[in-house]
Amino acid sequence: MLHDLLFRLRTLMRRPAAENELNDELRFHIERQTDKYVKSGMSHAEALRRARLEFGGLDQVKNECREARGVSLVESLVQDLHYSARTLLHSPAFTACAVLTLALGIGANTAIFSVVNQVLLNPLPYPNPQELLAARENDSLPNLEDIQRQTKSFASSGGINIEPMDFSGTGEPVRVHGAYVDVGLFTTLGAQPVLGRLISADEDVKGGPRNVVLSYPFWRDFLGSDPHVLGKAIRLSDNSYTVIGVMPRDFTLPKELADVFVSLWVGYPDAAAERDVHFMHTYWRLKPGVPLAQAQAEIARVDRRLAEEFPHTEKERATLLIPLHEWLVGDVRPALLILFGAVGLVLLIACANFAMLLMVRAVARQRELVIRASLGARNRRLIRQRLTESTLLALVGGAAGLIAAKAGTTLLLALRPAELRRLDAIPMDARVFLFVFAISLLTGLLFGLLPAWSASRGDIAEALRENARTTTTGVSRSPLRSFLVTAELALALILLAGAGLLIKGFLRLRSVDPGFNPANVITMYLQLPGSRYPQIPMQTNFRRELLARINAFPGVEAAMITDLPLAGNYVGHRVVVDGQATRAEGTEPVVQTLSVMGEYFGVMQIPIRNGRDFSAMDREGQPRVAIVNEEFVRQLLPGQNAIGTRIDWTRSSDPHEWMTIIGVAGDVKHSGLNQPVDPAVYAPFSQNDEAWRKFMTLVIRSRVPEASLVEDVKKQVWSLDSQIPVSGIQSMDDLLAVSVGQQRFNMLLLGSFAALAVALAGVGIYGMVAYRVTQRTQEIGVYIALGAQHRDVLRLVMKDGVKLGLLGIVLGLAGAVALTRVMVSVLFEVKPTDPATLIGVALLLAVVAMLACYIPARRALSIHPMTALRRE
Amino acid sequence: MPSRSIDLPQGTLDLLILRTLSLEPLHGWAVSERIQQISSDVLRVQQGSLYPALHRLERRGWIKARWGTSENNRKAKFYELTKAGRRELEIEQNAWQKLTVAVGQVLETA
Repeated sequence: MLHDLLFRLRTLMRRPAAENELNDELRFHIERQTDKYVKSGMSHAEALRRARLEFGGLDQVKNECREARGVSLVESLVQDLHYSARTLLHSPAFTACAVLTLALGIGANTAIFSVVNQVLLNPLPYPNPQELLAARENDSLPNLEDIQRQTKSFASSGGINIEPMDFSGTGEPVRVHGAYVDVGLFTTLGAQPVLGRLISADEDVKGGPRNVVLSYPFWRDFLGSDPHVLGKAIRLSDNSYTVIGVMPRDFTLPKELADVFVSLWVGYPDAAAERDVHFMHTYWRLKPGVPLAQAQAEIARVDRRLAEEFPHTEKERATLLIPLHEWLVGDVRPALLILFGAVGLVLLIACANFAMLLMVRAVARQRELVIRASLGARNRRLIRQRLTESTLLALVGGAAGLIAAKAGTTLLLALRPAELRRLDAIPMDARVFLFVFAISLLTGLLFGLLPAWSASRGDIAEALRENARTTTTGVSRSPLRSFLVTAELALALILLAGAGLLIKGFLRLRSVDPGFNPANVITMYLQLPGSRYPQIPMQTNFRRELLARINAFPGVEAAMITDLPLAGNYVGHRVVVDGQATRAEGTEPVVQTLSVMGEYFGVMQIPIRNGRDFSAMDREGQPRVAIVNEEFVRQLLPGQNAIGTRIDWTRSSDPHEWMTIIGVAGDVKHSGLNQPVDPAVYAPFSQNDEAWRKFMTLVIRSRVPEASLVEDVKKQVWSLDSQIPVSGIQSMDDLLAVSVGQQRFNMLLLGSFAALAVALAGVGIYGMVAYRVTQRTQEIGVYIALGAQHRDVLRLVMKDGVKLGLLGIVLGLAGAVALTRVMVSVLFEVKPTDPATLIGVALLLAVVAMLACYIPARRALSIHPMTALRRE
Repeated sequence: MPSRSIDLPQGTLDLLILRTLSLEPLHGWAVSERIQQISSDVLRVQQGSLYPALHRLERRGWIKARWGTSENNRKAKFYELTKAGRRELEIEQNAWQKLTVAVGQVLETA
C-alpha cells in the first residue's frame, strides 16, 4: 500500500520524465520488432507497418500504461474538466438551467446554514464558554454572595441589572442602557477592557466611587473615540461618573444590551443589600471539569438552607442553572432546525431536477458516447467523464448559490424576529464555505452518478440501435425518472403542508383579540431622573401636567401606563384579598401590577366589564382604588362580586391600606398573543406608593400624522424638563407585529421554501412530460393521423405525469403526517395533522401538477401528422 | 502469425511475466519474445497489453525497472524481479498448478 502510494507520487512528481521514458520504452519495442521483421526479409517500411499494426493503438497503450502507473487520475481529471467545460459552454441553455436550479437550492441552504452556524454552532465570544451557566430565575446580591461562599463548584459568578439611563452630553438627551453589575460579572465572562481598567472589588461596595466603564460603541458614537477619555467625567441620569475603562469592540453581554457599566452598589445603594430584591440576571462559571449536575446539586442544597433561614422571602427558591448557550438559543433552536430541515428538502428537489436534466442530456448525447465507447473509451472512464461534468456544474451552481445566499442573508437579517435581534450580522466564515463546497460536491457526485449509472448499464449496441431511430421509449420511461418525479412531488407536499400549518397557526394567532384596539395608538417611553424627581408628588405633578398639555392638542387622547401590553415587561406583586383566609407567607398569588394615569382604558379601548373607570377624583389623598381584570376575578374572586372587594399588596401589611376594587376591565394579552392572561391589578399612578416607578409609557390615540405628533409631544416634554429623553417611539400596531415576529419569520421562510419547492417540482414534472412529447412526436403524429381526438392525445401524454404526480402527493401526505409532528413546538393552536390544511395543500399541489402536465401536453395537440413523419 | 497460437486467458499474463523475469532481467520486447519462444509459439502475447501489465507489476513492487543497454546496443528499460515478486510468483505458480490439475481431473473423469 505504502509502496503503491510512493510510486504514484514519484511518478506524479516527475511526470515529464516518466512520459519521456514511456515513449522511449515503447519506441524501443517497435524498433526491435521492426528489426526482427527486417532480418526475416521484409522491407523496412513493410516491417514498420506490421510492427505497428501488431502493437495496436499506441495512444491507447500509453493511456493504459499511465493508468496502470496511477498517474492518470490527475491527468485524466484535468482532461475531463477541460472537456466538460468545453461541452457545457456549447450548450448554454442546459448549463444555465442546471446552474440556476442548483444555485436556488444551494443558496437557500447556505443562507439558512449561515444563520444556524452563527446562532447555534459558533461558540459564545467568551473564553471557555462551555463552563458558563445562566440561572433561569433572577436573584439578589446577598443570595448570590451566599451561594458563591457556600459552594465549591463555581470559579466565579456575577449579576447584572439593566436599567435605562439618560446621557445628556451634547444635544438632545438620549436614553442609553445602563448595566448595573457586580464585580464578579467581568471575571465570570472573562472580559478585559481595551482601555483603562474594570471596576475593582474595593469600589464595588456601598458608598463606592461613581466610576463607569464604557462599551466600545458608546465610546465611539458619543465620545468620538476620545483616546484621553480615562479620568474624564460624563453625566448619566443627572449624576457625574468618572470614566475608568472602555470595553473591547466585540464585547457584549450574553443577552442584555449595555452601553455603560456601573457598580450595582452605586446604582442601588439600598436595594443591593436587600435579600428579597431579586432583580439581577446571574451568570456562573464552573470550575474546570466540574459537571453541571454536581453544581446543580450543590446549589440546591444552598437554596434549601436559604429557604429555611429566610422563609419570608426565599421560601420558593429553586435556582435552575442552564448552560449559557442553551439559555441563549434554546428558544430559537427548534424553529431554526425545522427551517434547516425544510430547506434541505428544497435542495433534494433541486437535485432531483438536476439529475433529470442530466438524464435528458445523456440521452441527447448518446450517439457521442457510443462513438467514444467504440473508439476504445472504457465504461469507467465514461462514467467518470460524466461525473466530472455534473460535479463541475454543481460547483458552479454552488458558487452561484453563495451569491444567492449573500442576498438571502441580507433578507433574513431584515426579517429577523426579536428573538434573533442579537444577530446583527450573518458572516460567511470558513465553515459556511466548507458547507457549500461539501454539499455542492456531494450533489454533483451523487446526483451525477444516478443518471450516469442508469445510462451506462445499457448495452452499447442496444443504445446504438435505439439511437438509430429517435423513439427511445426505453430510456425516456426510465424508472429512475419516475422515481425522481414522484419523490419531488412528495417532498414538495411535505413542505407545503408545513407551510400551510404555519400560515394557519399564524392567522389564528393574528386573529386573537389582544383585548385592546391597537389602531392609531402611538406610544413613547419616558423616565424621570431620580435625582430631580425623588418623591412621588413631584413625579405625579410632572405626569399630570404633561398629560394635560398633550390632551389639549385637538383630536388627541393620551394616557400613561407603567408597562405596555406585549412589550414584555411587568412588575409582579403578591396580593391579599380582604376577608379571605390568610395564606402562608410567600405563597400568596402574584399579580401583574400596572400603574396608570388618565383615561388609559378609554385610550386603549379596553372595555370596562363591570363597575366604573378611574376618574379625576381617584387621586392622592382620596380613598385608594383599583381596577382588576377578568382573570383576576376568575382566579381570586370566583363567583363573587368583585366591586367593593378590598385588596392590598402583601408587602405593606400592618395595617393594610386597602384598595377598593371599583371596576373590572376586559382581559388584555399582556405577555403575548399566544400566552395566557395573568391576573392584573391597575392602580392610579397618583396613589402609587413606590417612588422607584419613575418610568411611564405614554399611549396616545390620534389621527394626527405620527411624525408631527411625536415632535409636538417631545416639545411639551422638554418644555417641562429639557433633560428627559423620549424613547421607544412606536405604534401599538408595530408592537403587535413585533410580538408575533418569530411566528411571522417562521411562516415567511417556510412559505417561501414551500413556494420554491412547488415551483421546482412543477418544473420537474413539466420537464418530464415535455420531454416525452418530444420523444414520441412520431407516435403522436401517427395517432392523430389515425383520427385520435384531442382528449385521447392528451390522455396519452399526460397519463404518466398525472399518475406519478398523484402517487407523489399520496406519498407526500404520508410523509407530512409523519414529519410535521416535529413542528408542534412552533405551531399555535393547530394540530400538525390538521386535516383541512393537509387536504388543502394536496389539492393545491394536484392543480399545480396537472397544469405542469397540461401545458407541455397541449403542444402534442398541435403536432401535424406529416411533420411528425418527416422527422423519420 | 501461426494459426495455432491462442490468446492468453485473463490474468495469466502477470504470471508469465513474473516467471520469465525470474530467470534474468529483460526488457519488454524480450519478455514477449521469450514467452512466445518458450511456449513454442503457442501463446501469443498481445504486445499492446504487455506494457500496461509491466507498469502495473512495477507499481505493486513485484518488479523494478532500470535503464540499461540492450543486446543491439540501444538504451532499453530492463525489468527484474524483486523479493516480493519472487514470493508472489511462488504463490501464483502454486495456485495455477492446483487449478490446472483440478481442471484436468474434471476434464478426464467427467
